Amino acid sequence: MNNTKLTVSHAPFWHDGDSLFQMNLNIMLATLPAVIFGIIQFGAPAVGVLALSLSSAMIWELIMNVISKKKITIGDLDAAVIGLLFGMMLPATAPWWFVITGTFVAVIIGKMIFGGIGANPFNPALLGMAFLMLSWKVFFDFDAAYVNYEFNFTALAPLAALKFQGVSEVAGLFPLGDLIMGKQVGAIGSTFGLGLILGGIYLILRGYIRWEIPVSFIAGIIVTSLCFSMANPDTYAGPAIHLFSGYTLIGAFFLATENSSSPVNQIPMLIYGFFAAVMIILMRNIGAYADGTILAILLLNVVNPLIDAIRPKALGKGVNNA
Amino acid sequence: MIKRSFFTLTKPRLSYDLVEPDPKEPKLIPIPSNLILLLNETVDGTRQALIKQGDAVEKGEKLRLYDDSTEYTISPVTGTLTTIDSYSDDFGSTSTYLVIKNDQGQASQKESITYDLKDDITSADEYLRTLPGAPPLKMLANDDVKISTIVITCADTDLLSTTHQYVTLKFLDEIKEGAQILKRITSVPKLCITVPENLKIQGGFDTIQVFKTSMAYPSNLPAMVLKDHLNIVLPAGQTPEDLGVCFISAEAVVSLARAYKTKSADFEKVMTIIGKQGAQYRVKATIGTPLSKIFKTFSIHINEQDRIIIGGPMKGVATYTPHHPVRPDMDTVILQDRDIIPELSDYPCINCGNCIRICPVNVPVNILVRYLEADQYEEAADKYDLESCIECGLCAYVCTAKIPLYQYIKLGKHELLNLRADV
Repeated sequence: MNNTKLTVSHAPFWHDGDSLFQMNLNIMLATLPAVIFGIIQFGAPAVGVLALSLSSAMIWELIMNVISKKKITIGDLDAAVIGLLFGMMLPATAPWWFVITGTFVAVIIGKMIFGGIGANPFNPALLGMAFLMLSWKVFFDFDAAYVNYEFNFTALAPLAALKFQGVSEVAGLFPLGDLIMGKQVGAIGSTFGLGLILGGIYLILRGYIRWEIPVSFIAGIIVTSLCFSMANPDTYAGPAIHLFSGYTLIGAFFLATENSSSPVNQIPMLIYGFFAAVMIILMRNIGAYADGTILAILLLNVVNPLIDAIRPKALGKGVNNA
Repeated sequence: MIKRSFFTLTKPRLSYDLVEPDPKEPKLIPIPSNLILLLNETVDGTRQALIKQGDAVEKGEKLRLYDDSTEYTISPVTGTLTTIDSYSDDFGSTSTYLVIKNDQGQASQKESITYDLKDDITSADEYLRTLPGAPPLKMLANDDVKISTIVITCADTDLLSTTHQYVTLKFLDEIKEGAQILKRITSVPKLCITVPENLKIQGGFDTIQVFKTSMAYPSNLPAMVLKDHLNIVLPAGQTPEDLGVCFISAEAVVSLARAYKTKSADFEKVMTIIGKQGAQYRVKATIGTPLSKIFKTFSIHINEQDRIIIGGPMKGVATYTPHHPVRPDMDTVILQDRDIIPELSDYPCINCGNCIRICPVNVPVNILVRYLEADQYEEAADKYDLESCIECGLCAYVCTAKIPLYQYIKLGKHELLNLRADV
């Protein structure tokens, strides 16, 4: 009898071939249109911020892996995605220490201390952003950030202008075409609306993000801002400016859809997306912040485990027939 | 292996294979010199067994370990019993394996012993349990289980397999005959048959109710057949038998018909063998033939670290030895090259939701696996529907983190049974 050693494992013996690496690589690919546009618009400093953000996020994870004596996990690109999205939300003029502090909070506090990938209750990139926003508010004044730039369009951050000057003042300053094509002042990766939408649609078609979240998110923005605008058109702006400025679209397609902190059942996903958007408009129209996307999504991250308990009944559960 | 398609907005579809329209005769594997039989009972060292090494056995002879044994096996050849040893399966339950040396030549194989078969289930259970297709006669003969519906499965339950369909196409008359015998000996009022919707069958099934099953996996699994065609929802943690439904393969019905005609047992099992490049071979091999003999017939070489899968790619079992014998219920054997064996990981669940979207019975797999990883089996069953799982394996097939989800679930169910047995 020969003794050929066989591989023994459990069913199923097939796999569809997908992996974390593939998923994260595709997310990074999908951000490319917006990222490249941001680099063209804001020049070399944008490259610097993005590169530092991405690399420091990966290094923080590596350091944490080494300290906690765990397997090195940066190969799955999860930290890279966090770093990239984080960089996309920063102004191109952010100083180096600012970026590194942010990615530290995002990766170490937002992800690693909860147990790494899959265990984070909040979107890590958003947690890092919220930390920076509350600590150094001045760096998020996009008007001040780009004071040395010369643009061939209105060099005013749309949401800040809306907040502090009122809807009647900004009327006509931000044509819809300009906003969609990225002719606005904002963070590196959040200004090019068309690119973000294309990237988002790519991810939906590839099945890497769940369509229910961005769709209900955008519906929430439109419905809520329309309600406000119809109630008082002199005080509140319509859906167009809310949808295509600030972090709205990057939030809809890349931030709210983060796997670990968002629901997976259909109805909860719709609730989650819609109410995140409602919170954003409430903060923008009534609250103190010019753009509430970061805090709104974080708030819904907290609610996520509760709403995700709404789920269909499994087959044969509680059945006493026959 | 079916890979993820580029666009996956809709969930992936896995379809059952359809048997080729005019199937060729299967290749007959010669009876090997040594046959291995598995007996579902453990050797008790303290007792004197009825059989011992060196015993002469006859073709069709019933082999039992002890006088009060309820389990038996039937020798497919006339020969000598050379080895009795114990064997343990992947969940650690032990059984006994017997090696029978075939000391008669190919040609001079004697006729099988004839049995005194009467028209009742006890008599059938007495001799016919190990017929090709493994008819569930033990269950049918059990007075504690009230069976009111028998479902004959002409649709294969796992992917790639076409054995049941082949048998259906070739031996339709014997299926009808066997169904009548089943009706007569069990006096079960309702007889149904599952047929893949795309399979063209000449003639009908007379009085038997036909269920046309969908080609999409997992519609042929017992729980799905119950739900889609019999309108019975299988309660969590129960088996179809608990509800009075018994599933029997088409081949078992054919074997029953033949056994009643000849009053003796048949030992030739029809199987689908799938080689490394996906080539399909249909074979007819005697029960007890080591798989390595079959692979050798087709010059399929087994290398180190390849994987031999008994059953289909979704629900099968991997064996650790190429000498694993052909068993009565073995419909498909797949040889998988070591280079294409998908790797598993020890990553935690990343909550991507792929399993939730593909689960046919709405089990919250993402939460369930967290409980199973922490050995919280009771909680998993009470709150997160562990027992509702119909074991189709789709969740592990789509898992982005490559967690062996199906293995966790099987282990969870196994441990849960142990826990409940202890209480």
